[in-house]
Amino acid sequence: MEVLAKVAFAVYALIILGGAVLAVGSSSLVRALVGLIVTLFGVAGMYLLLNTPFMAFMQLLIYVGAVCVLVFFAVMLTRAHGEGEEAAPAPVKQYLYALLAGLTPAAILSWIILKHPLASKTVPLEVPIVELGKGLLEQYFLAFELISVVLLVAMSGAVLLAWERREKK
Amino acid sequence: MNGIATELIRIVVGLVAVAAFVGLNGLVLVYAERKGAGHFQRRPGPFEVGPHGVIQPIADALKLIGKQLFTPENADPFLFWLAPLLSFFPVLLLFVPLPFGPVLTVWEVDLGLLLILAFAGINVLALLLAGWASNNKYGLLGAGRAVAQSVAYEIPLLLTVLAIAFQSGTLNLSTIVSQQGSWPWQWNIVTQPLAFIIYLISALGETNRAPFDLPEAESELTAGFHTEYSGMGFGMFFLAEYANMIVVSGVCTALFLGGWKGPFVDGFWWYLVKVYALLGAMIWFRWTYPRVRFDQLLNINWKWLLPLATLNLLGTAFLMKVF
Repeated sequence: MEVLAKVAFAVYALIILGGAVLAVGSSSLVRALVGLIVTLFGVAGMYLLLNTPFMAFMQLLIYVGAVCVLVFFAVMLTRAHGEGEEAAPAPVKQYLYALLAGLTPAAILSWIILKHPLASKTVPLEVPIVELGKGLLEQYFLAFELISVVLLVAMSGAVLLAWERREKK
Repeated sequence: MNGIATELIRIVVGLVAVAAFVGLNGLVLVYAERKGAGHFQRRPGPFEVGPHGVIQPIADALKLIGKQLFTPENADPFLFWLAPLLSFFPVLLLFVPLPFGPVLTVWEVDLGLLLILAFAGINVLALLLAGWASNNKYGLLGAGRAVAQSVAYEIPLLLTVLAIAFQSGTLNLSTIVSQQGSWPWQWNIVTQPLAFIIYLISALGETNRAPFDLPEAESELTAGFHTEYSGMGFGMFFLAEYANMIVVSGVCTALFLGGWKGPFVDGFWWYLVKVYALLGAMIWFRWTYPRVRFDQLLNINWKWLLPLATLNLLGTAFLMKVF
């Protein structure tokens, strides 16, 4: 089982990495978005590996089904076909700096993990959603409500922005 | 290890069976739709290939498979061909938690409803990709409409599904079915008639079916997001649309109409009868109602369906708390 879990982890990690490379490397915005979606799928797979299918499905429902669709809509409005001057290849120096910036945290993290390897844990118990709901409305009530306040502020901000523009016209 | 092997075999066999079911249904529904359309318009419909044209869908399918696949000039080929695949393959997953019968479920998932809702969202993305990658203004307009429509209609759909989930206390479709009785007055439609109507309208909106088929409105946008697709590229979108229709009808049957339970003898036949009745109604709607205008479409959703669904959910929660 442990080997299987490691194989699954490697597959999901590769999916995440592949998506990230596609997101960063492509000059077309929409292809980059496809890379982001691939990464989000990989993250959903990681949630499944942690035995939290609720989080995995929510990840797909919210990030792939809603957030990415809205990002796509915004991209479509800009008619970004990846032909502007920013699509030209950057100087080699810039690639080196970017590689350095990306590899440093990865190197530090992997050094620590290799130095103090963690023993594999058993598969965590799946928390039934009834328990999850009770936790959100009892133990973690304040955090839950605060998050909804954040969303409310964001939503009213969006409405406010749209309102102002309509008055000007 | 043995347990994993049997589970895997079950899932693989289930997915193959689902793929066969989707393909066969494509043929049946194409015939039903064309024949239905014909009779609604006082003409016989397909009549030449086979008796009463029954072999017509096979001829259509062969024609689609035989056609040349064509990528338009200046289109992004990777995204252009990714879109039909992305539209069709996730749909097969949606059949996994559907309870066709007491034991006839590919895989009973505790969060079955959520799984269906999560993977159904990918279809919108596929339509968007198709419209954008075609490098065609009709395609782009169709994609823009698809996103506005699906994002809007998903909300009342979710709210009605939530009302049933509140009532049943579970997201497992099999459990929801087993909580309902065999006779029509023991089904959820009796306690949630408003939710049923809202679900049905939003489902038409989600599956891009007439009168809400604005993303592919042929009188305005040629064929909307799939204007540029030939052969099986178009075929994939087509199959995905019919498969999505079966899924929304299947979920509706499980949530509101008692699933595989029915008078006298329970079994998968009741499930199929109800699903096909709903599909028939969808075809009937298509050829009865004219296409709505886009502002009307959004107004119906935001000004009627959404408040009604919210009220229905609040009412359900209130009654659940009181009783």
